[in-house]
Amino acid sequence: MLPTLRAFFEYLGGERDDAPLLHSARSRMLLRCAVWIAFIVLIYFFSGQSSKFIYIDF
Amino acid sequence: MIFNTFAYYLGFLIPSAALYRIAPARLRAWVIVLFGSSFFLYFAYEMAGVRGAACLFIFVWESLTSRLYRPASRWCLLGMAQSLLLLGVFKYWNFFTGLVFLHRANPARWPGAFLPLGISFFTFEFYHYAWDRRAGKTEAGSLSEYLAFILFFPTMVAGPIKRYQDFLPKLRAHPVEANRDWERGVTRILSGLVKKFAIADLLTAWTNHLNAHDILLADRRILPLWLLAYGIKIYADFSGYSDIAIGSARLFGIRVPENFNWPYGRRNITRFWECWHISLTRWLIDYIYIPLGGSRVAPLRVYANILVVFLLSGLWHGAGLHFVAWGLWHGLLLCGHRLWRRLRGAPSPHPLAAYSSSALTFVLANAGWAFFCMDLHTAMLFFRRLLIG
Repeated sequence: MLPTLRAFFEYLGGERDDAPLLHSARSRMLLRCAVWIAFIVLIYFFSGQSSKFIYIDF
Repeated sequence: MIFNTFAYYLGFLIPSAALYRIAPARLRAWVIVLFGSSFFLYFAYEMAGVRGAACLFIFVWESLTSRLYRPASRWCLLGMAQSLLLLGVFKYWNFFTGLVFLHRANPARWPGAFLPLGISFFTFEFYHYAWDRRAGKTEAGSLSEYLAFILFFPTMVAGPIKRYQDFLPKLRAHPVEANRDWERGVTRILSGLVKKFAIADLLTAWTNHLNAHDILLADRRILPLWLLAYGIKIYADFSGYSDIAIGSARLFGIRVPENFNWPYGRRNITRFWECWHISLTRWLIDYIYIPLGGSRVAPLRVYANILVVFLLSGLWHGAGLHFVAWGLWHGLLLCGHRLWRRLRGAPSPHPLAAYSSSALTFVLANAGWAFFCMDLHTAMLFFRRLLIG
């Protein structure tokens, strides 16, 4: 179960191309839309406080 | 900043990735070169003014000298030396001359010292190319292909550190599956931005307390939480950065190496380093550890090799003694793990043993961040307050 869950999170984050647990194209598309909306909302909500990336010429 | 600016996406990434897709094959490398140069000029100027932007000359010089590299050639040695010299002068001049003139005013100090954008990373790619050309492990490619390799801006500033022999076939291949690449690439970029904004930056409120004043005044029970916050922050920050870099490269249809593979929760420190900043770990193994003899020498030499690699890794992370201490900490942990495995054999398959060793690895890796994020004196104060009171 744990590897499947991990693969699912990797799919949500764009790291993996194949979507575990989701077999229909429609469910994959709906999930992608939901994830994009959630990500954009989070970015919009938190973007005011941004700082330098640690690894840029540290 | 770079990856969290509109200029990066609207001025560089989207136009260049779109143009790359429609350009004829013979011009695709030049699209990367054009946008990579503009990217460097724009952001290097923003960060260090005209002298920062002038460092574009480094890429021009490197690409011209790289045309001399042949298998078994001495020019390759010169190429490796010039990469190290660049890094040494810009990043370590004041550090090393300061050590020479310890406790005295440093007459050799370079008061206007600055870091050319991405120097810690692009010099590693220069070095790799010279080394692999000398060993006959990679073909030369054309000038435009090599320039595209070193000026590929999604990975130029902070990696992942690429290999020319991996990059070249992807550059030469016709990018297909545009829809999938863009959908997956944009998802990866968004997830990286979420990690940066919603996790890493949010934790700054806690990690800002990691200074001598706050450590002295704080209730000692809060200290491990601040350090844990830093451990999560640096992971979210750098893996978020890598997500954006990898997602950006995907828009071109180019896949670059992964940098993280769920490092926290690994069963031992060796596995941790196989999953943390992977492209750097592999670089260190291929260009320092193996040339030193790797694991195929006497046991004591192997421990010495591990320590040398991690001391250099610490120094690469920053010109400061606390970074050297961080490298030493991890070097000692790796030696300790190697010795443990030698004495005890294979790890127990019992789930409890697996969970407890994962927890121990997590605690030890997190303890090491104290040396990374604080100067040596403050880090020692932190541990003194944490352990003694």
